[in-house]
Amino acid sequence: MLLRVESIHKSYGDAEILKGVSFDMEPGQSKVIMGPSGTGKSTLLRCINHLTEPDKGHVFVDGEELTPKNLNAMRQKVAFVFQDFNLFTHLRAVDNVAIGPRKLRGFDKKAALDLAYQELDRVGLSDRADAYPAELSGGQQQRASIARALAMEPKLILFDEPTSALDPELTGEVVSVMNKLASEGMTMLVVSHEIGFARQAADEIIFMEGGKIIEQGPPSQIFEAPKQDRTRAFLNVIEHGGHE
Amino acid sequence: MSEWFDFAIEHLPYVLQGIPTTLGLWASAMVIGAALGLVLAWARIYGSRPIYLAATIYVEIFRGTPMLVQMLFIYLGLPEIGIVFDPLTAAIIAIGLNTAAYQAEYFRGAVRSVPIGQMAAARALGMGQFQGFKNIILPQALRRVIPQWSNEAILELKYTSIAYAIGVTEITARAEKIGYETFQFFEVFLLIAAIYVVMTSVVAQVLLFVEKRVSVPGL
Repeated sequence: MLLRVESIHKSYGDAEILKGVSFDMEPGQSKVIMGPSGTGKSTLLRCINHLTEPDKGHVFVDGEELTPKNLNAMRQKVAFVFQDFNLFTHLRAVDNVAIGPRKLRGFDKKAALDLAYQELDRVGLSDRADAYPAELSGGQQQRASIARALAMEPKLILFDEPTSALDPELTGEVVSVMNKLASEGMTMLVVSHEIGFARQAADEIIFMEGGKIIEQGPPSQIFEAPKQDRTRAFLNVIEHGGHE
Repeated sequence: MSEWFDFAIEHLPYVLQGIPTTLGLWASAMVIGAALGLVLAWARIYGSRPIYLAATIYVEIFRGTPMLVQMLFIYLGLPEIGIVFDPLTAAIIAIGLNTAAYQAEYFRGAVRSVPIGQMAAARALGMGQFQGFKNIILPQALRRVIPQWSNEAILELKYTSIAYAIGVTEITARAEKIGYETFQFFEVFLLIAAIYVVMTSVVAQVLLFVEKRVSVPGL
């Protein structure tokens, strides 16, 4: 088992955002977390690598528990792709990708750049390697940030609504990169309403509501024969182009 | 006018001999101010409560008292408790400690202006807080702070003149001396003003060049 998430709780003030969430992931699996807004999906994802500190619960990666002591080392195994990209503004695309290997994995400058060019190539961005983030489109920025995650050679990548800050015509290029990674065997946990990725690449859909998992199963089951009324109602809305 | 030029040419060499002192005093103080200012800014942003408080008190004291008083205190006051500096060292310390308080505030503002997602991305990559600060936040903050820092640098270049009060023979002190020897105060202070304008203009242009040189699209 690659990832074990054990009864994560998180509250902000009186609002209980996560009410005990548990699930596991095997290496090479892709799982998509869906559910209405404000239901704690992104908070859950951030709790997994402790970008947000959970109040209660445990996260194990490769059998090792995440603790404040091993946090920085563990985060190198669990990459994170942000909704709004968060590329480093002062660095060219290739330097954004190279800085992790350079500063955290002990690569020398040349080796880090070589790896960065490879990873940019993997997301189809080698021709924009010298561009600064402000010179890239949203889709290109998100692909560069995926390359930055890949350069850490992580065991698992967490995607926090990777396409929701993008114009509709730009989501396709990001989704196809994610599909490709999934088919190459990357372990991915994705918070997204992107039906295309969920249907094509996900092994399992986790449906959350009110800070809990209310249904999970393979996409065929969730999309064709959801057990819960809430799941069915929600999927109706997003499959018919509405916004949740 | 031509008489002034004659006067200027005659006395220029003596005044110019003070320029290494003026510039050395200024550069040393700016370096001390930048180093200490960064530490203070770090303390006020990331420091625990006592560290934050200590840095805040420092900034308030050095912003809240005249630089001349600070300089006199260091040069004339500290010897009473056994700490003695020569005039130039005392001036460097006074101006350095003073500008550190201002630079700390400029650095703090610049660090605060870097979007919070930048540190989040650095931490998510596996960097510790200090690594994220050094590799990601600081390079962006320093670019953003250059215009304000240039202002401070020019201000301090002019403030080196008050070191004359504790006997540093920088250019203002030399001008005054010529004034008392020739009684041509009008001419000599016009000359010294011209020299300050040339120096500050050069500094402004150099820093503008640096600002353009390191600028990055979108920052």
